[in-house]
Amino acid sequence: MDDRVKKVLVIGGGPAGMEAALKIGQAGFRAVLVEREPDLGGTLRKLVSSFPRWENPADLVGVKVQMLEGNRNIERLTSTAVLTAERFERGFRVTLKHLNNGGSREIRADAVILATGFDLMDASVYGEYGYGIYPNVINSLEFEDRLRGWKEGAESIPKGIAFFKCVGSRDRSKGFPYCSKICCMYTAKQAGLVKDLFPGAKVYVFYMDYRAAGKGYEEFVRDVIEKKHVRYVRGRPAKVLPEKGRLLVRAEDTLMGIPVEVVVDTVVLASAVVPRADTRALAKMLGALTDEYGFIEPLPYTAVRSGERVFFAGGCGFACETQGALQQGAAAAAEVIAFFNKS
Amino acid sequence: MDTEIYTPLRLDEIDSALQRELKEKIDIDIETCLECGKCSGGCSNGHIFDYTPRKIVQLVKLGDEETLAGMDALWICLSCQLCLDRCPSGIDIPRILDYLREKAVTRGVKASRPDVHLFMELMLEEARDKGRVSEVPLMIRFKRKTGQYLKDAGLGFKMFLKGKLSPFPSRMQKPEGLKKLLSERKSEKKD
Repeated sequence: MDDRVKKVLVIGGGPAGMEAALKIGQAGFRAVLVEREPDLGGTLRKLVSSFPRWENPADLVGVKVQMLEGNRNIERLTSTAVLTAERFERGFRVTLKHLNNGGSREIRADAVILATGFDLMDASVYGEYGYGIYPNVINSLEFEDRLRGWKEGAESIPKGIAFFKCVGSRDRSKGFPYCSKICCMYTAKQAGLVKDLFPGAKVYVFYMDYRAAGKGYEEFVRDVIEKKHVRYVRGRPAKVLPEKGRLLVRAEDTLMGIPVEVVVDTVVLASAVVPRADTRALAKMLGALTDEYGFIEPLPYTAVRSGERVFFAGGCGFACETQGALQQGAAAAAEVIAFFNKS
Repeated sequence: MDTEIYTPLRLDEIDSALQRELKEKIDIDIETCLECGKCSGGCSNGHIFDYTPRKIVQLVKLGDEETLAGMDALWICLSCQLCLDRCPSGIDIPRILDYLREKAVTRGVKASRPDVHLFMELMLEEARDKGRVSEVPLMIRFKRKTGQYLKDAGLGFKMFLKGKLSPFPSRMQKPEGLKKLLSERKSEKKD
């Protein structure tokens, strides 16, 4: 291939990174898509369904992977991590390490798109919820695995499930004063899926308020409440206690101002969205800005630019849903293409 | 409900029996409640309610029939329909209160305020007799029964000056038709 064609390194193979690499490849530039995991898809690959249309995320990942494979401008490097990166001439010099065979290789890139995604905060900082102590207190991503298992055949039918929203989020005492934005929607999705699988299950969602800002989102949540009959209880749970092999949840019904409790089998914690632990170091090597939490910060008056020749998309900037990741991926690609065509 | 504030209420069901009953009997689904409180903010008697309309809906959700039957709001609601008119989900709260009142009367629950039942009975009597309810004759009947001749007299005079009270009762044209209808209804109920 012509070495004079400009090359972009896309770090992270989730929906944002895949979309960015795809658009760059389709525009005739070269893209190297680096993914730490053996498969592309990022967090999206782990999800069972999606909002607001109950679509199968695997279909979306499948379509994107197929399109990436069909484009000869795009090189996909899975099980690969970025070891070092530095600015070199008018671009970057990056060392990549293959995680299976340990081999490393150096590449040059004219621009970088960060799409390293997000993580969930460690909910064990809340002693009162017993995450890490009670095996049936799990976080939302772990619950996606459980949902997948249930879809394939349940060993035992759950009688009651409680979802806690704002675990970490909107808690300045734990260092997360921000709203994690996506939990309201994925919790409604998970609660609705449980009712689809087990109509007799009693599903409770504890919330402070539900934030359904998006096309079809409010309708989605209302359907989960009104048609799938998930009980929303307003109040932030205070304590999880063991009770005869099950879990007792204590909270206040803040609408009436009275303490309430429910007994369930599983408690699902919608933990705060945080950037990946190594994103800050990566950003520093590349000269990208980060905020106080470690999320990538845009330059003033830009959406997806964080430094000279450094762009970003998806969850590494802030919590975002699949649609947002795709939009930002496409936006970052557009920025890169415009930049290349100008220079 | 207040006295048991330190014993958490256990939510054993995702909805209450009363909630299902309302859905079945009068086709009102309170799952659509957004808990916004618009009903209560504008309630014409909300300032003297022990439980505002939003809380009443919430009590139905919690299935607390005792509180609902014993609350003051059940008897001092004017059925002015403002809550229904303003509800973004169109929940017919006055209808819920009608239903709860009916249930309370059937169960023989006495209103917490004095003379509420007397007033209602007199008002219905007035309607039965004349087909319409006129304020002045109704008030005279009520005061004769209770002996509180001067209570609210000042307010009554003010209303009279503003033309809100007419001393002459208005009558419907053929009250006998209504009487026939009511007696038919009564015998129907007995069957």
